[in-house]
Amino acid sequence: MAKHMISLTINGDTYDLVVSDTQTLLDVIRGDIGLKGTKRGCTTGACGVCTINDSKGRAILSCMTHVLEWDCESITTIEGLESNGELDAIQRAFIEYGAVQCGSCTPGVIMSAKALLNAHPQPTEEQINEAMSGVLCRCTGHVKVKEAIRNAHRIREASSHAATD
Amino acid sequence: MLLPDHQYLTVDSLSDCLKALRENGERAQVVAGGTDVIFNMRLKLFEPDVALSIRRVAELQQVEELPDGGLRIGAGCRLVDLVEHPLVNERYPAFADAVRAVASAHIRNIATLGGNICLKTRCWYTNNSEQWRQGVKECFKTDGELCHVIKSSSLCHAINNADTPLPLITLGAVLTLQNADQRREVPIAEFYRKDGMDHTVLAPDELVTHVTLPPVADRTVFLKIAARQGMDFSQAAIAARAAGTGADAPQVSLVLGSISMAPIQLDQPARTVEAQGLSDEAIEQAVAQVRAELGELTSLYARASYKSHLAKVLVRRALKALREM
Repeated sequence: MAKHMISLTINGDTYDLVVSDTQTLLDVIRGDIGLKGTKRGCTTGACGVCTINDSKGRAILSCMTHVLEWDCESITTIEGLESNGELDAIQRAFIEYGAVQCGSCTPGVIMSAKALLNAHPQPTEEQINEAMSGVLCRCTGHVKVKEAIRNAHRIREASSHAATD
Repeated sequence: MLLPDHQYLTVDSLSDCLKALRENGERAQVVAGGTDVIFNMRLKLFEPDVALSIRRVAELQQVEELPDGGLRIGAGCRLVDLVEHPLVNERYPAFADAVRAVASAHIRNIATLGGNICLKTRCWYTNNSEQWRQGVKECFKTDGELCHVIKSSSLCHAINNADTPLPLITLGAVLTLQNADQRREVPIAEFYRKDGMDHTVLAPDELVTHVTLPPVADRTVFLKIAARQGMDFSQAAIAARAAGTGADAPQVSLVLGSISMAPIQLDQPARTVEAQGLSDEAIEQAVAQVRAELGELTSLYARASYKSHLAKVLVRRALKALREM
């Protein structure tokens, strides 16, 4: 099996990596880098727990793509959402609205929600349903997840006001 | 589930891609978005020696406006780019609906139009892991000599679940297939074969490079029924097109998907409404003629008997929707 050198930026840190032909992006995030927040689920594209964001802030299933596609690319995983010890607004919304139970799907669900909010800071009901159709949460029934997403912009605004006060 | 061993080859141009396809022939599998290919490789349904990535080939990722008012879409365009493309939405709303209906936003962010057009066929047997399948005799797709879906059949009866080809067939789209020496134009209506194993006319050294859509002013509609709205493959889907206005429909085309190894063009029901218009009575007469055109029905994501029911429901809904447009 041939090895290749690639350069991959994850959460702002650039890694020079030696990877093989058959590794997926998820294999490298979890195995080589050791960022275990991104989960391995069905590996067939049905559950969405391996969701990360690409450089455009779009939701991507990291288990469904060869890592060699991501040479010189920049991605964000769940670990990259907090900055300076402070959680992202969507993470705080999930806590406030109790949108987490067992937590297994949460990284994928939050990264999917983050991708939605990147494109639509105040999404409509239809946009939430469409963006979240690719992730499964078996505990919450998605009701609280949707509440958190609907209110994420309010939490973001509240914290930016607090910062300026 | 790990991916089987293979070499991953990335090409930057169409000519390099076609050259590599010529050199590697049946040993190679083109990877565009990868969402269908990786799924199939994980299940060990095919184990190519070379995975040939075309994701960096910019010439396959353009949407070009044609002077006649049509569009020429690169097969490497990602579904999300088409969903968001103003001209695609404005000129071909039913096609845009079909693109939007494919899987989830996550998959559409990376999957391509060419990938959906070439989507591998699926069945309840091959949708399981290699270990699960080993408990049962191997089928045509796994180098065996039988089809589990229809035991007495000499053909593979895996179902073609692609959504985007259905409106493309009603719109009269033409595919450009290219190999290292030449290119040919094949109407998408003639692209699919009624065989789950070898389900398209694409040769091993050929690539689907473009989809050309002629200008269409007719009414069009696309409807999909799946277990959930999002993520799931269709239990049944339909694309329909009608000329004329109101109940007057001098030209009608109806294409059903996810029922058989290839999309099904319904002839008799279309002729019925062409002759009698889109009245409730004519629509019911057309619905009664649907079952005879479906051939053998098999189960995937829904029971065969339910699929027959869905086919009729979709024809009725589609024809009524056309009447209201």
